[in-house]
Amino acid sequence: MTPQAHLYFEDVAVGMTVTTPAMTVTEAHVAIFQGLVREPGEAPGVVPELLPLCLAIGLGWRAPAPPLVVLAFMGFEWEFLGPVRVGDTISSRARVVNTRALREGGVVVEEREILAQTGEVAQRGRFTFLVGRRPKEAAA
Amino acid sequence: MADLRRYFDDIQPGEEYESPGRTVTETDIVIFAGLSGDYNVLHTDAELMKHSIFGERIAHGLLGLAIQAGLFTRATQAYATLAFAGLRWKFKGPIKIGDTIKLRAKVIAKKETGKPDRGLITLERTVLNQRGEVVQEGETDLIVERRP
Repeated sequence: MTPQAHLYFEDVAVGMTVTTPAMTVTEAHVAIFQGLVREPGEAPGVVPELLPLCLAIGLGWRAPAPPLVVLAFMGFEWEFLGPVRVGDTISSRARVVNTRALREGGVVVEEREILAQTGEVAQRGRFTFLVGRRPKEAAA
Repeated sequence: MADLRRYFDDIQPGEEYESPGRTVTETDIVIFAGLSGDYNVLHTDAELMKHSIFGERIAHGLLGLAIQAGLFTRATQAYATLAFAGLRWKFKGPIKIGDTIKLRAKVIAKKETGKPDRGLITLERTVLNQRGEVVQEGETDLIVERRP
């Protein structure tokens, strides 16, 4: 059997959990981010709060699970609980907490956390995605 | 050097700011894909996206969010910000290559926290494109120092 390349709305169930690989946040990440968006420098060694969030999305693509077919990122609520510092190694954990079927696809709500190497939660919140339905030709 | 930052005490509900515009380029999207590792086809496959509801590649939602955070620093005199506490955010429409976005922000709340040296400022933020359409909007909570 060919492993499934994507997760469609039909494949998503409340309680599904994904943990990503980890990555170390470096000065280079901070410099590129600051150059891209012109966020002024913070205290030396402190990572701009939005950067770990951006990195966590990319980590999600490297998780050992097929990626969701996201048609649109609808919105999110987020809390920054503590600073992430250059040299910290972050990972992310997501759990599906709600789904709602629509005609074109469905809404999936996930609780996400960004963890430091100590296991401490640095950031957390809820993401809402619009996820595609399985196309007819891809039906099992 | 004079401290030109605005403290919690200086900031008043009802204050409004508007940033300069910023044109979002293909380069911004490519750099953000490389930085974040988010290579979703929405942002990276021009051919596939021709046949999507958007008609072309669109910017990552978080790129728009990060750009507006940068625009905030150009919209008003710097706050004495200690930390970003949280946000509630909606992605309302696509940002396409070549779109010029700007930020409108309004102070909607000011709260004491448990600590005497700081307070919480809530801003309502709207990101608009060159046609005046709202592409992103939400509220952000900033922890700002009190005047020493």
